[in-house]
Amino acid sequence: MSANIPTLFRTYQSHETYTECTIWEAARATSAAPTFFKRIEIGRRQPFIDGGLGRNNPSLLVLEEAKKLFGARQIGCLVSIGTGQGNIISIQKPGLFQRIIPTNVISALRSIATDCEETHEEVLKRFGSLPNTYFRLNVEHGMQGIRLAEWERLGNVRAHTEHYMKKQEVDEKLTLLVAAIRDRRRQLTIGQFGMDKELMDLNHCSSFFLSFSPASTRIYAMCQRAQALSTPSCIICRTKGHS
Amino acid sequence: MLGRLRMDVDIAIRYYDDLAERVFSERKLWGDGKFKATKLEWIIKSAVKEVTGKADSPLMENEGVGSGFCRT
Repeated sequence: MSANIPTLFRTYQSHETYTECTIWEAARATSAAPTFFKRIEIGRRQPFIDGGLGRNNPSLLVLEEAKKLFGARQIGCLVSIGTGQGNIISIQKPGLFQRIIPTNVISALRSIATDCEETHEEVLKRFGSLPNTYFRLNVEHGMQGIRLAEWERLGNVRAHTEHYMKKQEVDEKLTLLVAAIRDRRRQLTIGQFGMDKELMDLNHCSSFFLSFSPASTRIYAMCQRAQALSTPSCIICRTKGHS
Repeated sequence: MLGRLRMDVDIAIRYYDDLAERVFSERKLWGDGKFKATKLEWIIKSAVKEVTGKADSPLMENEGVGSGFCRT
């Protein structure tokens, strides 16, 4: 596995190397969380594992991609949606058959929470002087104990998410967010974030895609209702949780 | 689901609920990974087929889709 370079599976043309694959292969490759599912090989027998290994919060990656895609166009807002605080992918000690996974990958998994929080802080800093441009939504309580495979507790995920969205501070944030998307103010160009240096430092990871996530999907519903999906100046990325 | 398949949110949640139950309700007794990747693949393929008409639809969208659409 090439753990150093993330692969972006794109649904659109870009100048980057094109990984020819089907929808199901991309979905499968990006859900290949080690210890959950075996890895998958696509194309030239290239093995993929899920981008959870260091790309749980792809905000910076998304900004860089947007810069390549839209160039000098201006950005309206960035919406980052987490899947709830805590380790959503709860990693246990590797079993007999998981020992082929390198130790550094396992420790990368343990740092999912730190990874998300650090990226959030970094993006916050970059958008610092611009009010109502960067929004981070993440269910704060109740998700810690819910593991990825616990489908029986999806009802709890729904309840915690709805509770979070009703909180006054979140409700106010949502109002500002909807206004930011609707207004389509264009405050600054994507290139003004000075990201290149930091992006040279990206380390572990193998693939990247928006992951399946019931919590972030529920919050995303609000954005869809704000007609965000067809607004090119709005960037929405979903991330895994932080704590 | 929301991006390439353009599912609306309620439908995406319904598909996810169904997928999670079917994939995670059975644990593998041996081999790499705790859950069956083949089962996950089969469920993803059937969802893709229901939405696009064929299970092997390419990830890349047609050029004609236009720039106003969501990119994933």
